[in-house]
Amino acid sequence: MTLLLESLSSFFLYAIVAVFAQNAVFSRALGVSRLVKLVDDVSVSSIIFCGCLCTIQLISAPFAFLFNRYLLSALSWRAVIRPVVMLVCASIALGIVVVVLGVSKVSWASKVLPVLPMATFNCAILGCLFLTTAQNFTFAQTMGFSLGSGLGYTLAVMIVTEGQRKIRQRAVPNTFQGLPVTLLYIAVLALAIYGFTGHMAAI
Amino acid sequence: MWSKRVQYLNENYPRISKNDRIFLNNPVMMSGLGLAPLVVTANSGYNAVVLSVAVLLILTPTRVLGSFVSRVVKFRALAYCFSAAVIYMGAYLLLRDWFDVRVVSMGIYLPLLVVEPIVIKRYERNTPEKWTTALRKGILTTAGYALVIMIIGLLREFLATGMLFEEPIMKAPLLPMASLASGGFVAVALLCALWRAMVNMTKKWINMEAKKYQ
Repeated sequence: MTLLLESLSSFFLYAIVAVFAQNAVFSRALGVSRLVKLVDDVSVSSIIFCGCLCTIQLISAPFAFLFNRYLLSALSWRAVIRPVVMLVCASIALGIVVVVLGVSKVSWASKVLPVLPMATFNCAILGCLFLTTAQNFTFAQTMGFSLGSGLGYTLAVMIVTEGQRKIRQRAVPNTFQGLPVTLLYIAVLALAIYGFTGHMAAI
Repeated sequence: MWSKRVQYLNENYPRISKNDRIFLNNPVMMSGLGLAPLVVTANSGYNAVVLSVAVLLILTPTRVLGSFVSRVVKFRALAYCFSAAVIYMGAYLLLRDWFDVRVVSMGIYLPLLVVEPIVIKRYERNTPEKWTTALRKGILTTAGYALVIMIIGLLREFLATGMLFEEPIMKAPLLPMASLASGGFVAVALLCALWRAMVNMTKKWINMEAKKYQ
């Protein structure tokens, strides 16, 4: 019972930390290139993209945990093959989602399938897998951090999209319009994160 | 001679601009690619050198290998990502040999290059790329990215510590937060605005010069 409660508390603690204090975008700039494209791109739905990202993140996390515990930790040259192993985990998650969508034959599958590769092979997914495996998180911590990381990315997309909408209504100088002002907006939000973490590099 | 050159530039500006990955269509400054390693790890001259060499070793070979593999593997995202991961293995060993512990200080951002959009974005296109085009575009993109990495790295080191390549220039740092991620976002945003202004000025200048000779 104590073990279960401990696992649950670390799951929720790591999830909350990953959403706010260790937000993938604001504290580590993970997936920020995709984010600045996403908020300007009307052809890709942010909700579908973030939904896919969270799903892939959650499915790939246990595979990364198992590969790290039973394969990578035994190897002295794990740093060399870590990207390949993590890509395998993300690919397995992608395969599972594609098969489930194919079998269930849901009407919105045609909207989700084109977005899946973008949501799978990006820095937010792999960055989270690298962090959880390099720091040897427990299973509960891994799952909590992965869920929080996906939700944190979704939160960042929503905040930046809303920020973009408000910035468009202001008189922004020509040279700052588009990418520069979006990056400045993210910089201000990243500064706010230091309220949680203090001044330290995110590496 | 000059008038012909200016008129040629004016008439072919869209094509020239599209192919110029260093200044007019720099992938970082104009498209916002490759931001994660730039914002976090390019905070000193030496880190910028390590990152630039890593990009040099990974980007072009990935693009060329990806162009071959994507002819066989239908799912191009996998072809490009695994090509990058395979090339990363060799690149990491070389980087460890050349830069030793500085590679470790790059943290997760070095392996993250295998899914960085600036390296693998080509998979989003429907048609496979010729290897010669991949080689040419890969080299130009590498040059453009490395240039921005070096500018940002040196600028942030100077602002955060008052040094350049760990040699003191100023007695006190001007802006210590420049070494942090938020400082990185600000530095990239300001350079991006300046870069875009210069590109617009160049375009206007070519246009005005061409009108003079018409």
